Amino acid sequence: MIYVLYIIVFVICVYTGRHYWFTLNRLFGFQRHPYIDIDTADWPPVTVLVAAHNEEKVIAHILDALMTVKYPEDKMLVIPVNDRSTDRTREIIDKFVQDFPGRIQPFHRVEGKGGKAAALKDAMQLVNTEVILIFDADYIPGAGLIKQLVAPFFDLEVGGVMGRVVPLNAGTNLLTRLLDLERSGGYQVDQQARMNLRLVPQHGGTVAGVRLSALREVGGWNENSLTEDTDLTYRLLLNGWKTVYQNRSECYEEVPEVWPVRIKQIMRWAKGHNQAMMAYGPRLLLGKHRATLRERIDGTLLLGVYAMAPITLVGWALALGVFYQGVAPLHGVIALLSLTAYAALGNLAAFFEIAAAARLDGTRKRISLLPFLILGFGVSIFSVSRAAVSQVSDLVTGAEFHWDKTERFRKVL
Amino acid sequence: MNPYLAVAALVFVVSLMFTLPLVPALVELRRKSDARPLNVVQQNSGEIRHFANSFRTYLKGLEPIMQRCVAAGTTATASLPDGEEYVVLGRADKPLVLALQQRDATHPVVIAAGLDLIVPPEATFSKDIYAGGQFTGGDQNNYRAILGEKDVHLGASSRAMRWVHAVGEFTADLGCRLYGRISSDSLIRLHADCTFLRLNAPRIEIGRVAISGDAVPSNSIIPANTGSGMSRRFLHDGDFEVQSGQVITNDIVIRGKLHIHSGARICGSVKSVKDMALEDGVSVEGSLISAGKMRIGPHCAIHGPVVAERELAIATGARCGTLEHPTTVSAPLIEVEEGVAVFGTLWAREHGQVVISQ
Repeated sequence: MIYVLYIIVFVICVYTGRHYWFTLNRLFGFQRHPYIDIDTADWPPVTVLVAAHNEEKVIAHILDALMTVKYPEDKMLVIPVNDRSTDRTREIIDKFVQDFPGRIQPFHRVEGKGGKAAALKDAMQLVNTEVILIFDADYIPGAGLIKQLVAPFFDLEVGGVMGRVVPLNAGTNLLTRLLDLERSGGYQVDQQARMNLRLVPQHGGTVAGVRLSALREVGGWNENSLTEDTDLTYRLLLNGWKTVYQNRSECYEEVPEVWPVRIKQIMRWAKGHNQAMMAYGPRLLLGKHRATLRERIDGTLLLGVYAMAPITLVGWALALGVFYQGVAPLHGVIALLSLTAYAALGNLAAFFEIAAAARLDGTRKRISLLPFLILGFGVSIFSVSRAAVSQVSDLVTGAEFHWDKTERFRKVL
Repeated sequence: MNPYLAVAALVFVVSLMFTLPLVPALVELRRKSDARPLNVVQQNSGEIRHFANSFRTYLKGLEPIMQRCVAAGTTATASLPDGEEYVVLGRADKPLVLALQQRDATHPVVIAAGLDLIVPPEATFSKDIYAGGQFTGGDQNNYRAILGEKDVHLGASSRAMRWVHAVGEFTADLGCRLYGRISSDSLIRLHADCTFLRLNAPRIEIGRVAISGDAVPSNSIIPANTGSGMSRRFLHDGDFEVQSGQVITNDIVIRGKLHIHSGARICGSVKSVKDMALEDGVSVEGSLISAGKMRIGPHCAIHGPVVAERELAIATGARCGTLEHPTTVSAPLIEVEEGVAVFGTLWAREHGQVVISQ
């Protein structure tokens, strides 16, 4: 038992070291924004896919925003992917199609497998441009965002692009404020540091882009994945394509405003991530492919972030167990476990990353909410662990994963 | 000590220790003093003329006064609604007089001229300048910002701190320091020893340039084979050389150093993960991107965006982009020799320098 504890503490220390490395890099290292200055170019044709399933509350906002972005009109086609909506989503989309002839081509999907990846896969029949951008329906792109997300595709090594997500409803309540902090840490520090260090920035599946030839080369959208974005990140990496992160390509999104929705969301993310870990982890670390050594290591650690929640819980239980058994662990191991536990859960955004991110964003007073992150941390660690347990039981019983759409909170226009 | 009191004291101290860090959090949660979403400027499209356009709008209120001054050949001074002092000049057929007659003088007023404007040397203009006609600056001047409705000419060793926009041509004489955004709707010309950060114009000429039309075929950069969705890139691990005169019809991605020998032609885009060097007369129809340093040799022609993550040197006679297909040339540090032409944007994130061709 004691040796298992040692291993767990070692793994947690590795994650802690990684977070410190990222944070220090972000604060003091060389910052890579290689494509952000491309403001004049022979812009290529682009297709913007907007994934929508019962999005009557938000779909008009994004279509409105997309119709006013600064990108040559004749080179941009918007395809709202209306996935089996039963509310007014179709009606709203069709109104926009009428108002902006030739600029929006709707894809109304009335049957087929559920989930964003399955819907995107079906919508690909309408896509014939090399550059594809993807937005969820609750996002509101700014005027310059499309050019910023397209610019990295001038680099032939780039298969995927990811922009920064900024919560629009940050001030609604405690949960949204905590999520705002988490997003800040995750993007401003974590993603940008991975970009700086040439590691594995993660494709987020929204405010994102993918190269059609790369997508086809890696087998298209994986409709069996609960997180098609993580899945895509790793398939691109294994096939010699890079995913890059554009920290200054910011886009507003809506974050969950109630805990049950947040719990559902993070459980889906955890399951999808663990799916990808099982599918690609061993091959990424040990297989023959074009990823560099640092990409292999970082990619593997990134795949493991959601597995760290149950591992941390097991570590705590073991620490208690060895204490009551009267076994004396190596000097300081328990203290090390306590010290690093909060920092271990990378995807839940370690506290110091968040503090550094708030500093970089120039948002000083919201740092004082940091102690409340213990609440988000508690909810996340148990939700993610629950997701892992249910995933294992699904494997045993052969139950299929199902997609849970994240509820929206905006008022219908 | 009473044991009950001791326990109570312990509970109190522990509770206090637990609660204290939460006090600022509770205060912030209640007051919501920093609860607004991060400021994402939705309408910012990175337009280089943003400040010039805003200044033009800002000066709209002065139009009637300017027209009157031009008609009467007089000068007016007053304050704008935000309290900013201004001078409106009705004529400028000779170097300005009034407050601008002393050398080394600082002029902390907005200057708006309805017609051509000529300013004397060795002066500092700490507020924005508007010229309805041509703007001609003396040597060794310091400017905050200039908007010229026709040509703008800066004298030798002048400095522009924030931005300059010329509807006509912009010219900077020897040794100018251009710290902000410089844009023109027709042409920017920089002479030797100038430094720059961000330049944008249909045509940017460094020193004397002999323009001989489009040097490169004007294909689309991300080609319209897009429907096929099949990558046509050649991916190579390690260093690579393209031989003299060789023609490559693919896109090439080199995960090492790349050396392209003279006269080679790449009918696609090029990426190298380490340093890249192009010899004399190389042509690239797509983009040119290096994660390290890049050197573009004499008389090269690049059609697409040029990005070097570390340093970029461009030798005399090179062309980037075309009039019909403007592009971006970008790197933290750029050294560009006289005789280079860029069509579109030339953006040195940290420092750009014009050097005399060797």
